[in-house]
Amino acid sequence: MVLFVLLLLPILLLLLYFIVRPRPLTIPIKNRHVFITGGSIGIGLAIAKQAASEGARISLLARSLDKLEEAKQSIRQAYQVDVAIFAADVRDYDAVQSAIKEAGPIDVLVVNHGVYVIQELENQGLDVVKFMIDVNLTGSFNVIKAALPLMKDRKDKWPASIALMSSMAGQVGIYGYAAYSATKFGLRGLAESLQQEVIEDNIHVSIIFPPVTETPGIDEARKNMPELSKIIVGSGVMKAEEIGKITVDGIKCGSFSIPCNFLGQTFAIATAGVSPQRSFLMASLEVVFAGLFRFGGLLFQWNLYGIIEKWHAQKKQ
Amino acid sequence: MLLFPLVLFPFLLLLLYFIVRPRPVNIPIKNRHVFITGGSSGIGLALAHQAASQGARVSLLARSLSKLEEAKQSIRLSSGVDVSIFAADVRDYDAVQKAINDAGPIDVLVVNQGVFVPQELEKQGLEEVKFMIDVNLMGSFNVIKAVLPLMKERKDRGPTSIALMSSQAGQVGVYGYTAYSASKFGLRGLAEALQQEVIADNIHVTLIFPPDTDTPGFEQESKVRPELTTILAGSSGSMKADKVAKKALDGIKSGSFIVPCNFEGQMLAIATAGLSPQRSFLMAFFEVAFIGICRLVALFFQWNWYGSIEQWHAKKKEK
Repeated sequence: MVLFVLLLLPILLLLLYFIVRPRPLTIPIKNRHVFITGGSIGIGLAIAKQAASEGARISLLARSLDKLEEAKQSIRQAYQVDVAIFAADVRDYDAVQSAIKEAGPIDVLVVNHGVYVIQELENQGLDVVKFMIDVNLTGSFNVIKAALPLMKDRKDKWPASIALMSSMAGQVGIYGYAAYSATKFGLRGLAESLQQEVIEDNIHVSIIFPPVTETPGIDEARKNMPELSKIIVGSGVMKAEEIGKITVDGIKCGSFSIPCNFLGQTFAIATAGVSPQRSFLMASLEVVFAGLFRFGGLLFQWNLYGIIEKWHAQKKQ
Repeated sequence: MLLFPLVLFPFLLLLLYFIVRPRPVNIPIKNRHVFITGGSSGIGLALAHQAASQGARVSLLARSLSKLEEAKQSIRLSSGVDVSIFAADVRDYDAVQKAINDAGPIDVLVVNQGVFVPQELEKQGLEEVKFMIDVNLMGSFNVIKAVLPLMKERKDRGPTSIALMSSQAGQVGVYGYTAYSASKFGLRGLAEALQQEVIADNIHVTLIFPPDTDTPGFEQESKVRPELTTILAGSSGSMKADKVAKKALDGIKSGSFIVPCNFEGQMLAIATAGLSPQRSFLMAFFEVAFIGICRLVALFFQWNWYGSIEQWHAKKKEK
C-alpha cells in the first residue's frame, strides 16, 4: 500500500502542476502604488508600514483625518517615507471615488477596512447589523468599483492586486458573529467571482484570513462580547505587524487565500471548497489532507456544541 | 492493503456516529405553521404548495399583493388549503415585524426571498449591488430578527426550523455573480453562527443550495446574463421549482444544515463542507472520504473555467 501512495503522489503533483488556475505569478510592490482602506490603524497601518519598508508608494484611506495624520507621522518617522492620506467613509461612494482619483492609478488595492460588533443576533440591534454589512461588504464593493476602471486602464502592464481583508470568522461562523461572519463570508463570494472577471486584465485577487489580532478595536469588542463567544474564540492574539508581513508576502505571491497561522492554514485547507489555488504544492496538500481536516472540522463542531451545551446547563443552575 | 480501509471505515463510521453535532433531529410540518418569504412565486410558491399538501398551515410573505392573491388561489385549487398572505418588503423591518406578529407563532421559517442580477462588477450599477445585498442578506436578518423572540418563547417545545434559501452561487463564486454570490455566501456565515446561538432553544438552521431553477426570476435573469456567465454556469444543470422544493422540504424535516438539490450540488456540498456542522454520521463519512476527490474535481473545474474565460477573451479580441 505504501508503494501505491508513493506512486500516486508524484502523479498527483505533476497533474496539479499543469492544471492549477489561475497560474502562479509574482506581484512586485517596490516603487508601486499601494492603496489601503482602513489604513490609519491596526492591520491596515501594519500593512502600510510593511509595504513602505519594501519601497512601495503608499496611500491611506480612513474616516478620521487625525488618525490619518498620526499614521502619516509614524510612517515618516520609521521609514522616512511620505504617504498620501485621504479622509473618507467607505459607505460614501462619491467620497471614495474622489479620493481614489486623487490618489492616482493603483497597483495594489488593499480593501482592509472593517468594523466588528460581536453579539447574539437576538440581542443585537439591526442598526448594528446594517452598520457591519454597509461598511464591511457594501463598502468593499464601493472601493473596488471606484478603483477598477483605473486599474484596468493602467499603463504599466505588470500584474496588479486587489486584496480583501476577511477573518477566520469568514471561514467559520461562531456564536455571536452572525452579522460579522455574514460580511466576511460575503467577501469570499465577491472574491471568487471577481477573480474570474479581472484575470484578463492581469489583476489578481487575494483574501486574507487573520485570527483575532491586537488592534485598537479589540479591547472595545472584548468588553461587550458575549461570554460564550469569548470562551469559544479563546484569548490568543496575533500582532498586527505579523499580519501585515504575512499579507504583503501573500499579495506578492498572488495567493488567493492567505491564512495567517497554523490553525488558519488548517481552516484554509478544510474550507478550500471550489476556490482557485495557484500553488500546485498547496493544491496537493489540499487534496491529500482535506479529508483529515474535514474530520478535524467535525471534531471542532463536536467540541463547540459541547461547550455551548455545558454553558447553558451551568446557567440554568 | 484492502484490509486497511475495511477495518478503518467501520471504525470511522462508529466514531462519527458519536461525534456529529448538532445531533440528528426530525422536524414535523403537519399541523405546524410554515412561514415563507418570497412565497408568491418560484421556489417559495412550490414550497408552499408542498407544505400545504403535507398538512402544514402556510403563510406567505412577498411584496406584491396581487401575486400573493394568485398564489393563494392556486394553492386553494390544488390542495383545498387556505394560506395566509402578507404583503411586505423584507427591507422594511417594521412591515415585516407586523406581518409576523399577525401571522402568529411560527414553527418553520423559510427565508426564501431573493433577487439576482448577474453582471460584471465593472459594469454593474452600485444600486443593483446594494439591492441584492439589502434584499438577500439584510432582508434575511430582518426576517429572522422579527421571528426569533416568538420562536424562542413558543409554548410547544417541539423542534422548529429556520431555513435559508442560498444557491450554488453561495458555494462557489462565478463570473458575473460578485454581488449575488456575496449575498449568498453571507447567508452561510449567518447560518453557521446562528445555529450555535439557537440550538439551546431547539431551533434548527438549514441552508438550501439550489442550482439554476426554472422560475419567473430566473427567466428575467437569463435575459441579462453575461455570455461568459452562461458558459460557466452551464456546468451544473437546471432544475424545476417543485423538485427543488421537495429537496428543500425533505432537508428541513431532517434538520440537515446543508441541503443540496442535485448530484452536482451534492459534490459541491462535500467540497465546500468546510467547518460546517453535519448531523448525519453517514453524510459526515462521505464528506471525510470524498472531500479530497471533490477538491481535485473542483481544481479541474477551475482549470476548465479559466480556460473558457481565456478562450472567450481571445475570440473577442479577434473580432
